[in-house]
Amino acid sequence: MIKIKDLTKKFGKTRVLDDINLTIKPKDRIALIGPNGAGKTTLIRIILGQYLFNGELLVFDKDPRGNRVEILDRIGYVPQLPPPIQMSIGELVKFSAGISKRSSVDAIYQKANELGLDIEKNIKKPFLKLSGGMKQKLLIALALARQPDILIMDEPAANLDPQGREAFFLQLLKSMEKTTMLLSSHRVDEIINLINRIIEIDYGKVVHDEQIAQSGFADKMLECRVILTNKHEAAIRMLNDWGFNNLNGEQDYEGRFIGAERLRFLTSISHFANHIKKLDISEQLNI
Amino acid sequence: MNTFFQVTMKDFRESIRAKWFLMYCLIFGGAIILLFVLGITESSVFGFTGLSRLLITYIQLCVAILPILILVSTVRSVVGDRESNILEYFLSMPISLGAYFWGKILSRFFLVFIPLSSALLGSIIWGMVKNLAIPWQVAGYYAILLGTLSWCFLGLGMLISTLVKKQEWGLGLSILIWLILLLFIDVILIGVMLQQQLKESVIVATAMLNPIMVFRAGAVLLFDPELTSMGPASYVILDYFGYHGFLAFAILYPLFLGWLFSWLGFYRFKKGDLV
Repeated sequence: MIKIKDLTKKFGKTRVLDDINLTIKPKDRIALIGPNGAGKTTLIRIILGQYLFNGELLVFDKDPRGNRVEILDRIGYVPQLPPPIQMSIGELVKFSAGISKRSSVDAIYQKANELGLDIEKNIKKPFLKLSGGMKQKLLIALALARQPDILIMDEPAANLDPQGREAFFLQLLKSMEKTTMLLSSHRVDEIINLINRIIEIDYGKVVHDEQIAQSGFADKMLECRVILTNKHEAAIRMLNDWGFNNLNGEQDYEGRFIGAERLRFLTSISHFANHIKKLDISEQLNI
Repeated sequence: MNTFFQVTMKDFRESIRAKWFLMYCLIFGGAIILLFVLGITESSVFGFTGLSRLLITYIQLCVAILPILILVSTVRSVVGDRESNILEYFLSMPISLGAYFWGKILSRFFLVFIPLSSALLGSIIWGMVKNLAIPWQVAGYYAILLGTLSWCFLGLGMLISTLVKKQEWGLGLSILIWLILLLFIDVILIGVMLQQQLKESVIVATAMLNPIMVFRAGAVLLFDPELTSMGPASYVILDYFGYHGFLAFAILYPLFLGWLFSWLGFYRFKKGDLV
């Protein structure tokens, strides 16, 4: 699907990507990880045909620069920072649906709705004036509505609230069988349950490339009960952020989250390990 | 609708909300209202009065400020979109580079030309209401002149926008180019001619290469067929071209420059890093 051979990119004298060799196959779901400035975004932009480079790159066996319209129609992209677009949501939706044969206004509405964004309610609002989470949801809906063969997302869940993240992961899980994914992230724990391969880039080089086993419960809803040892404010705030409810006015909390978020939840709650009396996570139901 | 028109409409919708466009409309719409209010139609120059007088004054105003306003607003388009990540996002969509670039220019042309032509049209309608004689020929020629001058500086603005890495550099370069072009209208040319340091042909060529000078001379030519009100360089130019030849040149030359700059800008845009 994507073949990269001896790819190098320089900005002036700085070598941002250095002799990258990669093959991305259909159904690969890749976490592209690495520190800031490692070269993740540069690699994504090269795949999108936005940068010149030395070496070879084929996307769907074609040069992405020379066949950009054909190739980009099969790629959905969500940037890390929503651009300051002045158009209203309605205009942006029409524009995005109009330039792609694979998208439609109805499909965008449906995807946005599934992500918890009511387009109709905000149709006249300039995109620029939406909250960070709403912008991200709309950009994700625009990308997914095109039913892309490759989905590229740069820090996709960064601006989403817990409910938005849950809906977002469900969308990705639905697309898993048909779509190749390249998810760039600082933190692998955020997306670990979605992916089957990790590529780490550092100083412009691929330093780690590993297939990983698929988690068996990424698409399951998990029920969780936490009993705290005391009323620790930060721990309670964290549980509230995850949508947990207090059960009896004591330190007993209950909530649920999607399996894809399990590692992120455990990472969050691990900061309060000294204040946890009991922690129970169990499968609730199939989705 | 094809992608080119989709991009044109997108950029039009985006820009129409921008503050620069509001300022631009206020300046060119406000200028013509101000000229009416100041009673310019009652005054006379070279025997011209009424609406002709107003249009002549308006066009002189445009000579000075239209190029810089177009440059300042256009020069930020590609580099500004690049800095704000708008370019990265829209160029991740299935849009050809040609559709993106030329769609952007076309929308900018409409944005720049609509307020100007509306101001001209408004002045004609007002003239009709006030029973003034309508100088159709002058108004028509001025509308075309304003269109070609706009096109010329739009092309230049887009070229600069693809060349620079930061908006500030683009703005600085625009102002510098505008100042040089403005200085070489007559001020410097007269000085050089007086000092007789350069051949006449060099001076004429310098003047003829300057689109602002060509526009100004073309605009004045309609009411001053011998260009006696302008500098000596203009007088010599007229001898070379003749009346009708110069009127045609004043339209065709900026048009050609606009295309040249735009094509160079497009070439630079598609041959380099896009974001």
